[in-house]
Amino acid sequence: MAAKYDVVVVGSGNAGLSAAVSCVVQGKKTLLIEKHNLPGGVASSFSRGRFEFDPSVHEICDVGAGDDLGHVGLIMEKNGIDVDWVTVPDCYRCISKYSDGTPMDVTIPAGREAYIDAIEKYVPGSREPLEKFFDLIYEIRLAKVYMFDGTPNDPKYMQKHFPNTLKTCGYDSLSVMKALKIPQKAIDIIGVYWPYLGVPLDEVNFFHFGNMIDMYVTRRAVVPHHTSHEITMTFMNRFYELGGEAWFNCRAEEFLFDGDKICGVRTSMGDVECDQVLANINPHIIYANMMPKELVPEREKKLYAARKNNLSTRFSMIYFALNKSCEELGLTDYCVFFAGTADSRKEYENLKSIDNDYNILISYNNIIPDASPEGTCVISFTKLFSDGKDWSEMTAEEYYKAKDKMIEKCIEDVKKNLNIDITPYIEEVEVATPMTFARYLGTPEGTPYGFEVKSWDGVIARMTDIEADFNIKGLRHIGAGSFFGDGYSSTWINGDMTAGLACADLEEGGK
Amino acid sequence: MALNVKVGLIGLLDMLKFANLAKKREQYIAASPAEEIKADYPINNLAKAMHPDYQPLVIDEIIDHAAAGAKTFVFKRADGQPACYFRAGQYISLKLPIGDSFVTRPYSISSSPKWALEGKLAVTIKTNPGGFAADWMLENLKVGDEIKGTEGLGSFYYEKHRDQKHVIALAGGSGITPFLSMAYAIRDGIEDFNLTILFGSRNEEVILFKDEFDAIMAQTDKVKVVHILSEEEKDGYEKGFITADLIKKYAGEDPYSIFICGPEAMYRFVAREVEKLGLERKYVRQEFLGATKTVWKQPEYPQACRDKVFKLTVKQGPNETVCDCSSNEPILVAIERAGIKAPSRCRSGECGWCRSRVISGDVFVPAETDGRRWADKQCTEIHPCASFALSDITIVVPGEYY
Repeated sequence: MAAKYDVVVVGSGNAGLSAAVSCVVQGKKTLLIEKHNLPGGVASSFSRGRFEFDPSVHEICDVGAGDDLGHVGLIMEKNGIDVDWVTVPDCYRCISKYSDGTPMDVTIPAGREAYIDAIEKYVPGSREPLEKFFDLIYEIRLAKVYMFDGTPNDPKYMQKHFPNTLKTCGYDSLSVMKALKIPQKAIDIIGVYWPYLGVPLDEVNFFHFGNMIDMYVTRRAVVPHHTSHEITMTFMNRFYELGGEAWFNCRAEEFLFDGDKICGVRTSMGDVECDQVLANINPHIIYANMMPKELVPEREKKLYAARKNNLSTRFSMIYFALNKSCEELGLTDYCVFFAGTADSRKEYENLKSIDNDYNILISYNNIIPDASPEGTCVISFTKLFSDGKDWSEMTAEEYYKAKDKMIEKCIEDVKKNLNIDITPYIEEVEVATPMTFARYLGTPEGTPYGFEVKSWDGVIARMTDIEADFNIKGLRHIGAGSFFGDGYSSTWINGDMTAGLACADLEEGGK
Repeated sequence: MALNVKVGLIGLLDMLKFANLAKKREQYIAASPAEEIKADYPINNLAKAMHPDYQPLVIDEIIDHAAAGAKTFVFKRADGQPACYFRAGQYISLKLPIGDSFVTRPYSISSSPKWALEGKLAVTIKTNPGGFAADWMLENLKVGDEIKGTEGLGSFYYEKHRDQKHVIALAGGSGITPFLSMAYAIRDGIEDFNLTILFGSRNEEVILFKDEFDAIMAQTDKVKVVHILSEEEKDGYEKGFITADLIKKYAGEDPYSIFICGPEAMYRFVAREVEKLGLERKYVRQEFLGATKTVWKQPEYPQACRDKVFKLTVKQGPNETVCDCSSNEPILVAIERAGIKAPSRCRSGECGWCRSRVISGDVFVPAETDGRRWADKQCTEIHPCASFALSDITIVVPGEYY
């Protein structure tokens, strides 16, 4: 056996990176293992020709700046992570149909005032309920800080300071926005971000959704200057600096037990002894393949049954490098949503089909002029699927045809919605599919989003008892399949918080 | 006015609803049946089948192209599975156990993707005097030998949304192999484009795949091969080298893309000719060249380091190996000589599969094969297949799954 570690972090996705750095910052002897040959999971980059592409990033929330740091910003500061961020000025442009079937084409800036002004312009009569909405999500921000600061929560204090949070947060987002008397068309505009949480507005908990809007709109989103691989390497360099050790192309094969407690990890590079494991692996994979069946808790078998059909969004990403600038092409927005309908429930149903109309266009050079060589640009499209079935029955030959179809759909979407033909300018094109994500992340059906935050399984329900799903001694789940759901920010926070729990356990054990 | 939001009829019940979220969740879970946990997903299975750790291959047939100094190795999957499907033009990296070393070599696949579905795959290897792996393979490999290889790799293939429908291939020597695969793919209805191959050989006798191409041309009019002989004048053949004029002669009226694959000397000549055509950059694509064999001729190379032998310390997981490292060869070669199984694929600095971290010491990375990510260039990550030691160095390499 190799040297004994306090903590082994398995998987170097966003949660794994955050957890690993958190552990070394707390002085723990930490090993990070990663089955791929480089760290990051979706927070990475790849090269084609003279271009470097970001595989996943749209907008990152909850970072903040200066003396108004968000939760993510505070974690980064605490852990000594300093990334070259670029602020995203607008939330999005959305070309779609309102719930009532009338056409929608809105451009929504970030910042509370500008956001409300814009929506009032498109949907007169929205201002007053939107002011209330923003007061409410600001209260939720404060409540969140209080609730998840690691100290016990006092119900009386919460009732006094966060009454509206308590009153709204048992509900789905659609109900709360209706109760605030926000016009349906304005709800449609606010709801454009719903796919980032994976379930429609009538299902996603308002605390979760409202907080996301607060983070994106009030605090504004950021992106890394040089692809998300830059963020990943900032984490890695900090990890190395504090004595962390990382093994790449190293697969965790099974967890080793001493009685009912984890005591190590069997890897493709040998057995490693440790006290604590932080597993950036979907829990289904762990329980099915990586530990003795008899040690799988009954409660986790029930949780599996409750969730097995609720894998969250699968993705296809289509990346183009064009040999003209965004300006020359007329691609003036950073982020454009093309949606069949703004009715999130209907769209969620549409997303079960591989042929759905949903697509998100990101034109990086609009906020990062040097994202590609001068006179060129890189753009990406994100297609979502709320079911994996259409991808599940393919042969390898059909798979290549499905990739072609994704490319053609993107070309068509830009032509139809923006009246721009990118065809003559394509210098590089690459497609990632649920298979690609499955290959690099190893998650069920390749979902980078974990489990759907259904009404019974919402993030707030999970977070009010964050240890509820950690039922094996010495093992904690991190990543999108853990308590905080999907997204760069959520998984960084999740990794950091969970590392805190593991380190506390170590200290209790006298380490 | 203070904010007072009420969603349900009675605000107090709303609060209770919030307080009960976690309890309700546990109740929901408790009410579900305990099931055996399975993780078997067709999407993940296809991903694994297309990108296995390696393909176990067994040599099924060896075709000798004696005059050309080449052999075609036809492989079958040793496990009876279909070979990994690929795009015509891609390469596989073979993992060769030579002596005490594990050496990888990238070779373009010369067979049709259709063969892969039938479980077969071929590469064609030409003698390379003074080289290492190619001649070892030509001399040692026999039918029945087992070898490990990757799936099809690289982006050197026809992409209909990107390339012109007419592709002019410029090939020299064994650089013809990806184009043979493309020609088969066109014949087999897998790809749909017009392929004109300008193929340079010394004389008629040494032309690789002449019969194969003649047969393909008899079956489809989408493939056309023009043979250019540098050392022989003969009817039905062009004489000389691949020049801009020759390309224009066979290009016809339609716009075209140029694909280049051949030895370095041919590539350097042809690149100058292609430049005269004034094509947009996106219409000229080339297969990787490999790392330089004369690093001391690279711009900014510190000449004092030439012909030196440094100490290389390689950390891989819990293991550490110390070996010699010639400054004239890529660091990867020293790693392989030391018998360490380290990952590598393209051996041209591009694919990043060998990505490793330098802990101490200095390295030289030739700009022309520096395919590293931006952030990697800011720290000490290198691609050892195209990096050279300038001092004693310690590096951390990834593991390998074979």
